[in-house]
Amino acid sequence: MAILELNNLSKAYGSTTALRNLTLSVEPGSVYGLLGPNGSGKTTTLGIALGVLRASGGSVRWFGQAPSASNRRRVGALLETPNFFPYLSARQNLLLAADVKHADPSTVDRALDVTGLGTRQHDAFKGFSLGMKQRLALASTLLGNPEVLVLDEPTNGLDPQGIAEVRGLVTRLAADGKTIIIASHLLDEIEKVCTHVAVLQRGDLRAAGPVHNILATADRVVLRPASDTSATTLQQALATLPWVSDVRPETAGSFSVALSAGQGSADLNRALFAQGIALAGLEVRHRSLEAQFLELTK
Amino acid sequence: MFRAELRKILPYRTVWIILALFIVLLALFVSAGGNVVLNGQQVGATLYTFPGLWQKLAYVASYFNLLLGILLVILITDEFQFRTFRQQVIDGASVAELLQNKLLVSGLLAAFGMLTVLGLGFYFGLTRAADTANQATVGITAVALYGVQVLGLLSLAALLAVLVRRSGPSILLFLLYAWVVEPLLRFSLPDELDRYLPAKIFNSLTPMPGQEVLDTMTGPSVALLPTQALPLALVYTAVFWGLSYFVLRSRDL
Repeated sequence: MAILELNNLSKAYGSTTALRNLTLSVEPGSVYGLLGPNGSGKTTTLGIALGVLRASGGSVRWFGQAPSASNRRRVGALLETPNFFPYLSARQNLLLAADVKHADPSTVDRALDVTGLGTRQHDAFKGFSLGMKQRLALASTLLGNPEVLVLDEPTNGLDPQGIAEVRGLVTRLAADGKTIIIASHLLDEIEKVCTHVAVLQRGDLRAAGPVHNILATADRVVLRPASDTSATTLQQALATLPWVSDVRPETAGSFSVALSAGQGSADLNRALFAQGIALAGLEVRHRSLEAQFLELTK
Repeated sequence: MFRAELRKILPYRTVWIILALFIVLLALFVSAGGNVVLNGQQVGATLYTFPGLWQKLAYVASYFNLLLGILLVILITDEFQFRTFRQQVIDGASVAELLQNKLLVSGLLAAFGMLTVLGLGFYFGLTRAADTANQATVGITAVALYGVQVLGLLSLAALLAVLVRRSGPSILLFLLYAWVVEPLLRFSLPDELDRYLPAKIFNSLTPMPGQEVLDTMTGPSVALLPTQALPLALVYTAVFWGLSYFVLRSRDL
């Protein structure tokens, strides 16, 4: 059973379409990244899933059930900005959130410790820096030890050390078997922690699946023919292989190609050798998620 | 869930300032009332004699209800401004729970208003008109009707706060409705209809003292009697809270 299923979700603000027929499924135990530039519909998607935005069409299911207050209590979520009462201290705000979540108030201390706010717990929220507000919002998501975490831009406002800490925290929570949904426009963040990714652009889903699949289709193989093989011969040989596409000339007589899923560089080497072509060099060039993202959102 | 509501209210200085203001202003007004000179005579202790005191106090206190309305508007619009309504829904509250909590807060404010009136009534009555103390509980139902009036006005304040979402404009609208819009409406409507307008109904719960005497001279007033206004006031209160729920549920948070 999927943790979260979005079915044909749409959302319009007046004449602007923020989300168009989005269908996604988040499996238990995955770290699911929602990737997209600003305004791509990430926060809208999560807002609808968390019950604070009304969808124009489509449906949401949490844990196989229709959305309800009780299944939202199984989710710890940080959406867009840290939302707290400015005149209350960090601790008072967390105690209040624990009451709303029906969580044991004793989990407040642990949440404060994990996010490094223990020493500032009695200070009013309004005096906090952006980074500390973000830490408090993260602390709030951990109250009651929820099965699922939804983190929208969780490293906003954090310094490099804070970013690394959040990444460590997400990795630890994922290792504990929690399902984590992260929205971010920071590709590096997603690539380092996610098992699955969905790429959104202007409200449209451009790609979705396991990170390695999304990235694997982006890998290119660079081949350099031996000196006795002309470029034309090599190109003709490549053209006969149906699983080779997008042949591009590279520097120093090399070519780069994309391979269909299920085919590797060894298959390419074998196929070319069978046609009497020897290679002087063969290299798989891994593409970063960033390059793939730019390709998908071109 | 109501414990969460208390966690918001108890440390909030604005709440205590407005409540203190309500007590102090009402006490000052009632205290000063005895010094008023009418036709060259000091009104003095006759103002504080039981059983008429309760109706007079309820009538005077109704002028300070706007303070309680403003407080509820602040408590609700804060939730929009701090985006805490949104966060509480994310954290697992339902929209109905959010409003049930504010309804309970309005109940607490009405209880506070009634207790203040009772406290001041007993204090001034027993200290300045001690000879009528044997009738101290007669006519005390006026205080209960005053409580219903507070509940009614607060339901209107809550609806405006949910509709407008910002404290300044909501408070302005609340005052405008009570002081300008409805009086103007009453002006243009026939008397048989205008006595059913909400603010008029709520006001009818605490009629001006001596209204009965006036009625004998000028003919019966068009306003409803408190007992007639009571069920209608409760219906308005329920309708306003219902509308608030409908608005909050149908909009994005």
